[in-house]
Amino acid sequence: MKRFDCLKLLASLVDEHMFAVTSLSTNAPFWFNVRPQGPNFFALNMGLCLPFALGLTVAFPKRKIIAIDSDGSLMNDSSSLITVADVNPANLVAFVMDNGSYAFMSSTFTTRRTDLAKMAQGAGIANASTVETLEEFSAAAKQAMESAGPTLIVAKVERDPGRVSADRSRTSGRPMREWFMDAVRRHPDYQERR
Amino acid sequence: MDQHSVQVIVETLKEEGVDLAVTLPEEPTFALTEAMREDPFFQAVTVAGEGNGLAFCAGAALGGRRVVFVTGIAGLLVGTWALSQMGMVYGAPILILASYRGDFGDHSGIPGSQLLMFKQVAEPLLGALRVPYRIVNQKATLKRMIQEGSFACQDYSHPIVLLLSGEVLW
Repeated sequence: MKRFDCLKLLASLVDEHMFAVTSLSTNAPFWFNVRPQGPNFFALNMGLCLPFALGLTVAFPKRKIIAIDSDGSLMNDSSSLITVADVNPANLVAFVMDNGSYAFMSSTFTTRRTDLAKMAQGAGIANASTVETLEEFSAAAKQAMESAGPTLIVAKVERDPGRVSADRSRTSGRPMREWFMDAVRRHPDYQERR
Repeated sequence: MDQHSVQVIVETLKEEGVDLAVTLPEEPTFALTEAMREDPFFQAVTVAGEGNGLAFCAGAALGGRRVVFVTGIAGLLVGTWALSQMGMVYGAPILILASYRGDFGDHSGIPGSQLLMFKQVAEPLLGALRVPYRIVNQKATLKRMIQEGSFACQDYSHPIVLLLSGEVLW
């Protein structure tokens, strides 16, 4: 299963008002390619994607918040799974794109002996599962979008051949943050709060 | 922290519209975080790690919530990675109240070697992370310091730390 195919399919399930948060490395440029518009926060560094998305769930409780994390990032601060379980947000859908290595460095194993979905279940996230085919990914993602969460889906994906680039003014640092803040200020839920 | 300090902080945070209180519990600020947890005005969240707590605060704050993170010097040290990212890179307006463990007047009984380490690293750490901070150690100025810290973190769009010490904390 290819990461890009998963994210392309996921983008087709995300409406214009849903928030999406990605980890660093390949998830950010791929997600930008398939969903360049809308409230996206790209390229959070190691360990920060899932908890940042969790923060958005309490700011926008009526919207699905999509976290697109990765194996190495989640492993870097797996205690965030416990925080997610404790907050227990119905609107969080978290994906962990697990290629079994750090970035595209094939010999740097991450989850060789670790089952991230079971870790999530053990932390208290009941709706946690692992998918290995695009069909399974599609079914799990659709169900997660239509159900109360939190949901965590570990997607076993192939290693990408190398670094993927995207427009950095849209996918990193302060310029990306300003795009995001503009989307937040124009968001109907934010306007309603004012 | 005595009930007077707790009451001033809670009332001032309410006036500032801060209604999301995040903490990883620690002894010096326990009375404060308990008061916020029991007050229905606040959505109180206990996190499993300071790093994910600060990232959580950042997501909420950039989404428009007014948030306070309550921690100590050890928590700031543990959360340094997240604080540098959410402050220097993303400018998330997070008001941080931190017990100033190791400051003069800390008679809490933890080993002096630990207190000295906290005293030695706390302010240089915040300086290195470019996080603006004030030491709040007088009850007479507590309310105003929280008001000013709250305003500054929104106006700067950056984390702000108020280091609680002296008669405010001990």
